[in-house]
Amino acid sequence: MSKSAWKKVLGGAFVTAGLVAAGAFTAGAQEVQGGTLYGNMNTVSQDMMNRAESDGNNFLHTNGNYDQTRYYPARQINVNNVKNLRPAWIFQTEIVESLETTPIVVNGIMYITTSFNHVYALNARTGAQIWQYKHKMGPITTYCCGPNNRGVAAYGDKVFMGTLDAKLVALDAKTGKVVWEQQIADPELGYSETMAPTAVNGKILIGTNGGEYGIRGFVKAYNAEDGKLLWTFHTTAENSVGVWAEKDATGRNMLRDIAAEKAALKKLGDPYKTLGGGVWQNPAYDAETNRIFFVAGNPSPDLDGSIRPGDNLYTNSLISVDLDTGKYACHFQYIAHDVWDLDAVSPPILVDVADKNGKMVPGVLHGGKTGHVYIHNRDDCSLIRFSEAMVPQEDMWVLPTKDGARMLPGANGGVEWSPMTVDEGLGLVYAINLHQPMTYHVESSPYPEGKLWLGGAFKVIPTEEQWGNVTAVDYNTGKIRWQVKTQQPMIGGIMATAGGLVFTGEGSGMFKAYDSETGSVLWSFQAGAGVNAPPASYTVDGKQYIVVGAGGNVQLNYKRGNNIIAFALPD
Amino acid sequence: MKTVYLLRVLLIAIACAGWPVSARSEEPPRIPGAGEQPILPDEYASVSTELFGCFDCHGVSGESADPEFPILSGQHFYYLYVQLKDFKAGRRASEIMQPMVEELSKDQMKLIATYFSEQEWPNTGFKGDPAITAKGETATGAGQCVQCHRGGYDGDSRVPRLAGQQREYLFKTLMDFKNKVRMNSPSKSSLMNSFEEADIDAMAEYLADF
Repeated sequence: MSKSAWKKVLGGAFVTAGLVAAGAFTAGAQEVQGGTLYGNMNTVSQDMMNRAESDGNNFLHTNGNYDQTRYYPARQINVNNVKNLRPAWIFQTEIVESLETTPIVVNGIMYITTSFNHVYALNARTGAQIWQYKHKMGPITTYCCGPNNRGVAAYGDKVFMGTLDAKLVALDAKTGKVVWEQQIADPELGYSETMAPTAVNGKILIGTNGGEYGIRGFVKAYNAEDGKLLWTFHTTAENSVGVWAEKDATGRNMLRDIAAEKAALKKLGDPYKTLGGGVWQNPAYDAETNRIFFVAGNPSPDLDGSIRPGDNLYTNSLISVDLDTGKYACHFQYIAHDVWDLDAVSPPILVDVADKNGKMVPGVLHGGKTGHVYIHNRDDCSLIRFSEAMVPQEDMWVLPTKDGARMLPGANGGVEWSPMTVDEGLGLVYAINLHQPMTYHVESSPYPEGKLWLGGAFKVIPTEEQWGNVTAVDYNTGKIRWQVKTQQPMIGGIMATAGGLVFTGEGSGMFKAYDSETGSVLWSFQAGAGVNAPPASYTVDGKQYIVVGAGGNVQLNYKRGNNIIAFALPD
Repeated sequence: MKTVYLLRVLLIAIACAGWPVSARSEEPPRIPGAGEQPILPDEYASVSTELFGCFDCHGVSGESADPEFPILSGQHFYYLYVQLKDFKAGRRASEIMQPMVEELSKDQMKLIATYFSEQEWPNTGFKGDPAITAKGETATGAGQCVQCHRGGYDGDSRVPRLAGQQREYLFKTLMDFKNKVRMNSPSKSSLMNSFEEADIDAMAEYLADF
C-alpha cells in the first residue's frame, strides 16, 4: 500500500474518533475546556503535530501538516451538502488591512493574526474573543508589499509570531502575554517578517523577507523554550557563482551574457552579502530523513543582473537542510541569475510521486511564478518533471530593457506566495494563478543600504486584461486536469478536503467551493472584502467548520476588510 | 550656537524667497504660521530653534499650507529621519536643506523627526480635476505604488505618506526622481523614468486629492 493510501485509511479512522471525542465535550461548549483527541487544552505536543494530517479536529500547521498538503481529512462538509454551507460566526479584528493569516485551531481555540502584528485567540465555536496581543512595533520597519502577517505557529503552551520589525515573539497561548522575544535581524537593513513560523522537535523555524532590499537571506532555528538561536542557514552561498547555467528548469535559454558576468565577477567579487534570497513561506518537514524543504526567493537587485554575476546560488531554488544542524543537503535552482523576479515563493509540498520510470518515490512539489508546478525527487532535489504552463507565457526570456520589455508572466506570477493543496487520492495538486501582463525595466544603481533596490521597475500594462485561474494538475504526468478562470488575478491560498472539495477565495470577495475532481463551482459566498488568505478547517463539538480571512490584499490592492468568517452546515 | 541657528533661519527665509516656482504660482511663497508659533513640549527644547526654522517654510507644526513645501506634520518618523540623514550626507541634494542639517547630530535629527511624526496630518482641501485624477489613478496602478505606499497611500515607517500631500511638491519631487535630481531612492527614479511628465502630473493631482 502506498504512503498516500495509508494516509487515507488512517485519516478516516482518526476523523471518526475525533468526532466522537469532540462530542463528549458539548456540555462545556462556552468554556475553555481541556482534552479532545490528542492532548490537553492549549498544549500542542509534538505527537499532535506529527499526526496533523489525519487530525480532523484541529488545524495545527499553517499548511495543514508537515507535508504542507493543506488537505483536511474531515468530510462532514462534502460535495453533497456544501450548497447548504452558511456563516456560523464572523469576528472583526481591530485592523482593516491586508489579511493573509491562516487560522490555527487547537482544541477549540483559534489563533489568528492581522497586519501590523496583532494576535487574537478566539473561541472557535462562537468567534468570541479570548485575548488580544498588540505587538509594540519598533519605529523602523522595512517591507515591501504590505504590513502582512500569515499567522502563528502553536507549540507546547505557546504561540509564536514573526513581526514586521524583524522579531520572533513567543506568547503564552492561554493569556497572550509575552514569554520571550528575539531580534532576528536588523530592520534598518531591509529585514522583516511576515511568514508564520514552523514548529518542530523543539525548534521554531523562520526565514526572512527582504529580497527587494539587498539582504542576505536565511532560515534560522530557535529553541522554542527560551528563544536561543540554534543555527542559521544562509540562502546565499559564500560562493554563489554556480555553474553558469544558460537554461532554466524547463530548458529555455535565459539569454545570459556570461562573458560580461565573468568580467563583472573579477571586478566586483562575489555578491553574496547583499544577494537577497528571502524565505517567507513555511518549510516542509520530512520526518524520515529529518530534513526540511523550503524555497528561496529572488536575487537582489531584482532586475539588474549586471552587478551580481553568477548563478546567484541559492536564490530561486528549492533547498533542503538538516533539521538538527541546518547543514545543506541538496538544492535545485529554477532560474539561475534571475532578472524578472519570477522567483520561488509558494511553500513546497511533500508527496509521493511517480518518477520518470513510473515508480512511486518520495517527492516535492513547488508552484512557480513561471506558472509551472515543478515535481522533484526528495532524495536529491532533482527535477522529475514540470507541469504544463497554467498561465500564458510569452517572450520568455526576453531581457529587461531601459524602456521596458513585455514578457508573460508578469512579476507576480503564475503562482505567487499562495500555498497550493494536494488531494493524494486523486493525484492532483491545486494552484491559484495570476495573469497580469507587465513590462520589465532595468536601471543599474549601487546598493542603497536598506532602501528599496529593484534595479529598475515593474509596470503593469493598464490596457491589457488581467485575470486569474484555479488549476488542478496531475503531478504524476504534469498535465492539467481542470482549470477555472476567475475574474481577477488570484492570491491567497487554497485548501482541499476529504469531502471532495477545494476552497479558495478571490479579490472580489467571493469565497468558493469547487468539486475537486471536476472544478465545478458548488458553493460561493460574498464576503464583502477580498478573500486573499489561505482557508483552514476544524471540527468542534462534532461540527466541521471552514474558516477564512476576508481582509483584502495590498499587493493587488483588493478591497480591505477585517473579517474572520467561519462557515458550517445548519444544525 | 544660537546665533548660528538664527543666522540659519534667516538664510532659510532668504532661500525660501528664492525657491524656484512653477508657472502655476508667480507670487512669492507664503510663509505659513507667522505669529502663530506653537509652544513646544519640553522634550523638544534642545531642537526648538531648528524646529522653528522648519516652521518658516513648512508651516506651523509642519502643517504646510504652501503647495510647494511638503507637509511634515503627521509624516512618518523613520522617513523623516532618513531624509534628514540623506540631506546631510548629500544623497538628497538641496541648497536649502543641506545647510539646515549639516551640523545636526543623529539624536537631533531623530528628535525633529519624532516631533513632526507626532503631529496631526492637516487637510489641504485640495480638489483635483476628475479627468486628471482618473488618469493619475491609472498611472499609480501601473506603477503598483500601493505595494509600498499602501492602499490609502498613507505609507508606514520608511515609506512616506502621499495622500493629501501638497500637489506642487508631489509633482516636483516625482519629476526630480525622473530627472535624477533627487537621487536618494534609485528604484523610485527608475519607476518615474518610465512615466511621461503628463502621467506624473496626473499622479500628483490624484494623490493630493486622495
